[in-house]
Amino acid sequence: MASGYILNRGALTLGIHCQRVCRSVTVTQVREKKRWMRAYTYLMAKKLKLEGPPPPKPRSQHPNWDYHAEVQAFSTRLHENFSLQLLKTAFINPCYLQAEQARRQGLGVDSELTALDLKNNIKLSAKGADFTKSFLIDWCRASFPSLPSDGVQSIVGHLSSSAVVTNVARNLGIEDLTMSEVFPVPDDVLHSTFMAVIGALLESSGAERTGFFLRDFLVTQLIGKDLFDMWTVVNPMGLLMKELSKRNIVLPEPRLIRSAGASTVLPLYFVALYSDKKLLAQGPGETIVAAEEEAARVALRKLYGYTENRRPFDFSPQQQHEQPLIQSVSSS
Amino acid sequence: MTSRATQSRFLQSVLQNGVGRYVCQLKRISIIFSKKAQSSLGIRDFIEEGVVDYAKKNPATVVYVSPKSCRIPKIVAEYLNGNVREEIVTSKTSQQVSELLTKLTNQSGLDVIRIRKPFHTDSPSIQGQWHPFTNRPPSIGPIRPQSADI
Repeated sequence: MASGYILNRGALTLGIHCQRVCRSVTVTQVREKKRWMRAYTYLMAKKLKLEGPPPPKPRSQHPNWDYHAEVQAFSTRLHENFSLQLLKTAFINPCYLQAEQARRQGLGVDSELTALDLKNNIKLSAKGADFTKSFLIDWCRASFPSLPSDGVQSIVGHLSSSAVVTNVARNLGIEDLTMSEVFPVPDDVLHSTFMAVIGALLESSGAERTGFFLRDFLVTQLIGKDLFDMWTVVNPMGLLMKELSKRNIVLPEPRLIRSAGASTVLPLYFVALYSDKKLLAQGPGETIVAAEEEAARVALRKLYGYTENRRPFDFSPQQQHEQPLIQSVSSS
Repeated sequence: MTSRATQSRFLQSVLQNGVGRYVCQLKRISIIFSKKAQSSLGIRDFIEEGVVDYAKKNPATVVYVSPKSCRIPKIVAEYLNGNVREEIVTSKTSQQVSELLTKLTNQSGLDVIRIRKPFHTDSPSIQGQWHPFTNRPPSIGPIRPQSADI
């Protein structure tokens, strides 16, 4: 045993200590300066430099991991009553099932004895994605009644885009629980897992709770976002004309109201849009065309009710909020 | 060390936490201690007295207790945003460990570095960005370079 250990150690140091291994086979332990250590650390450092750091391992392969407890804690953390069976199904991706099946076949295990009795999350994911889309469209229609369907589509597209959803999922700890073939979990897998979690919530708690979940975790990502960051409008002036003619308002007349530093590197123009001698909006720009476009955007924001100083969205918790109100009314 | 040399960040939260509902950001805690060592005495006391209460009080946090022979007992806290904090609890009493756990539970998991101001807003100016016409009545006329005789 001891000689095997020394042999192993000798092999690691690339045979530098071959002689010593041969000589000290009988000695079980050497109490002296560990001269092999220098070569060994040098070799390990060289290996690290050549190969790079080892690939990241999923949290489930690190010590201290209890999957059931983690899933239960996930459910309580979000203050939701998930059915744990559904939630566990929601984390199982088809790519994981395929990889696991292939791994078991590769190991030569009898496929009937150790059949994978797991369902994948495709159905839940489709259900969750459908519900998310319909809920977000309803929410946008309710919050911005005058926003056209193009704008609603682009806001919904932004909120359910891969970047936003994966960011939310990573910060809710879904990545740890996701069963995926590769690690780090790819964005599309994480996206479908998040949708499957929503589908599981929809099946276990109903549409209303799921709506609140989406409002609290997805719609909050809209805070601080500008409308035209999400919605690319190439010709805002044309859109403004269309909107105004739809509402029977006189078409806007752009006028240069202020300008400064026209011959410098930092010129500034202010263009205002007047409709029937009433100021619609004004906007700054480095050229007159840019200023006019900016003014049109400001006017559109006002029309759609998406100005920066609008009333903030209502994110107040619903049930807990109502009860104290009733109590205070009855006590007073 | 000047304040410019130290790392700093703005006051922020993970995923607008607290706007909709509050989510406890501590997802997992592992208590690593020795069954014999003198330095783990306080944490052994805590495990006997308080750890079950703590786990019951915080169902959103998974608590792992792992005894192994080590001289330096520690608490490893993992947060939802992926940050991991290791706190060394060598020769701390049960009370001190309990306080430390409460502190770790209430933290957001963002880096504990200097915060530039105790408040933060994404849109700092209420009246908009400054431009040459800010607070200038329109009756004054266009802005020109200052002439020499004034």
